[in-house]
Amino acid sequence: MSVQFFLQQCLIGLTNGALIALVALGYTMVYGIIGLINFAHGDLIMLGACLALSLVAALGLAAAGPATTWLGIGLLIVLCGLFCGTLNVAVDRFVYKPLRNAPKLAPLVSAIGVSFIFMNVGLFWIGSADRSFPELLPSINLLPGNSLQFNWKDLLVVLVVAPLMVGLSLLVRVTRLGKAMRAVSQDPTAAALVGIDVDQVIAATFFIGGFLGGAASVIYGLYINTIGFQMGFQNGLYAFTAAVLGGIGSIPGAVFGGLVIGLVRALASAYVGERWTGAIVFAILIVILVFRPEGLLGRRTSEKV
Amino acid sequence: MPMLEVQELEAGYGPIQALNAVSLEVREGELIAIIGANGAGKTSLLMAISGIISARRGQVLFCGRSITGLKPHAIVRLGIGHSPEGRRIFPRLTVRENLELGGFTQRDAWQLKRDIAEVCELFPVLGTRMNQLGGTLSGGEQQMLAVARALVGRPTLLLLDEPSLGLAPLVVAKLFSVIAGLTARGIAVVLVEQNARAALKLAARGYVLEAGRITLSGSGQELASDNRVREAYLGEG
Ligand SMILES: Nc1ncnc2c1ncn2[C@@H]1O[C@H](COP(=O)(O)OP(=O)(O)O)[C@@H](O)[C@H]1O
Ligand SMILES: [Mg+2]
Repeated sequence: MSVQFFLQQCLIGLTNGALIALVALGYTMVYGIIGLINFAHGDLIMLGACLALSLVAALGLAAAGPATTWLGIGLLIVLCGLFCGTLNVAVDRFVYKPLRNAPKLAPLVSAIGVSFIFMNVGLFWIGSADRSFPELLPSINLLPGNSLQFNWKDLLVVLVVAPLMVGLSLLVRVTRLGKAMRAVSQDPTAAALVGIDVDQVIAATFFIGGFLGGAASVIYGLYINTIGFQMGFQNGLYAFTAAVLGGIGSIPGAVFGGLVIGLVRALASAYVGERWTGAIVFAILIVILVFRPEGLLGRRTSEKV
Repeated sequence: MPMLEVQELEAGYGPIQALNAVSLEVREGELIAIIGANGAGKTSLLMAISGIISARRGQVLFCGRSITGLKPHAIVRLGIGHSPEGRRIFPRLTVRENLELGGFTQRDAWQLKRDIAEVCELFPVLGTRMNQLGGTLSGGEQQMLAVARALVGRPTLLLLDEPSLGLAPLVVAKLFSVIAGLTARGIAVVLVEQNARAALKLAARGYVLEAGRITLSGSGQELASDNRVREAYLGEG
């Protein structure tokens, strides 16, 4: 096994990890702000992928020239982002919000319910068989030589994920909304008492998490090239795991956790075997959580005054 | 017309009735004290005025207008500041961010800077701690931050819930001198205190709350010399 092979696996792992991270952000942001594990998030992204597939057909992108293709991909990301963001806000408004003061299990079980409803919508939308998502980008190696492969679609992942993450971290750090989001996540009552419309901030958080998921759904289609109505479950589970591994509620944690999971998955399937991947990922997760229950970048609960 | 009028207010938590037909009023620029034992309903009263818990009956008027049923953020925007019991500053935000959030309703960034600077003159220690996380401040500093945060929003009425709780006597004296000065700035204050002696000394008027009901009211002096108050809340008699 050569160094090159190892580096190649790392590259694959990091690219996959970036995609996982984008989904993990949706889990961690919603958890951070209302303490809910939104089990429907993976299936929301599946619906985003269904929309992306329908739009590719409707816009005739599979037969378009390169310029139109890139423009079309940009449009897909915006439209699927808006779609998933809006749908996420609607679910919060009609399902989770009425349960805001109910015992924690009620919204959790409702989230599982929403996940099943989404899955049925997906089944109705694209059918039960896996659908292939058209290759819109040429598979040309962008790196010199033949030792390492890095194609247009790998680049696409980086080109989309990196600015979204930078944008998100700026939004949370410096904007008025970001400050309000951090305040609500630390103490919603105190936040209301300084004049923050807590419901609006929660809705905004659902929108942003959903938007990132919608963007992820487009990249997923273009990168993995197969979508199906059940894709939400496994992908959601890995992303959720990434969020917990990084420290649920922590935005850098979700990104870091996503990259770690992506790397571990790639290395495990290359060196041990595809079918052991799940077991290895979760064994590592368990070991890490035993020693750091708060996750890699999470806050120790004792810090909470 | 009084600035704040609470009329026959009832509120509670599930089967618990925390407030029973509570009526009181606060005039413009006036400092009133609310005293009462633990569990009497003082915090619930302030939370009901701010809209955090909803009224089951009765109403709250602010400047003649009913604010019953408004969402908390809307009530804050009308000019009612609230420094809640237990400080509840944002522990993982810096002092500066805490203060900026206090002025969340102020959209003019320069004005917000001036408002923060002004509040830091009242509490100079905060000015030296601007980049420190709220949670790392001492108890006294956190309490000052909690009051300062409410003041940055330029309230015309300030609700203060047990600002002296758990603080050293020297710090309490400092805090109370600031509170006493608020009325001179035209800010009306509702001061909820277990430290009844200090509160009644500052207050123009006071109310005694017992098991969710107002049982006594009068000027600060009258209450401080009332035998029942002296026995129950001033540890005399
Ligand atoms: N969140 C709550 N849930 C249920 N009961 C509460 C809650 N907060 C206060 N209570 C009850 O309401 C009553 C009044 O409490 P509170 O307003 O906190 O009194 P005080 O501030 O005077 O100590 C008490 O009986 C208390 O146990
Ligand atoms: Mg209290």
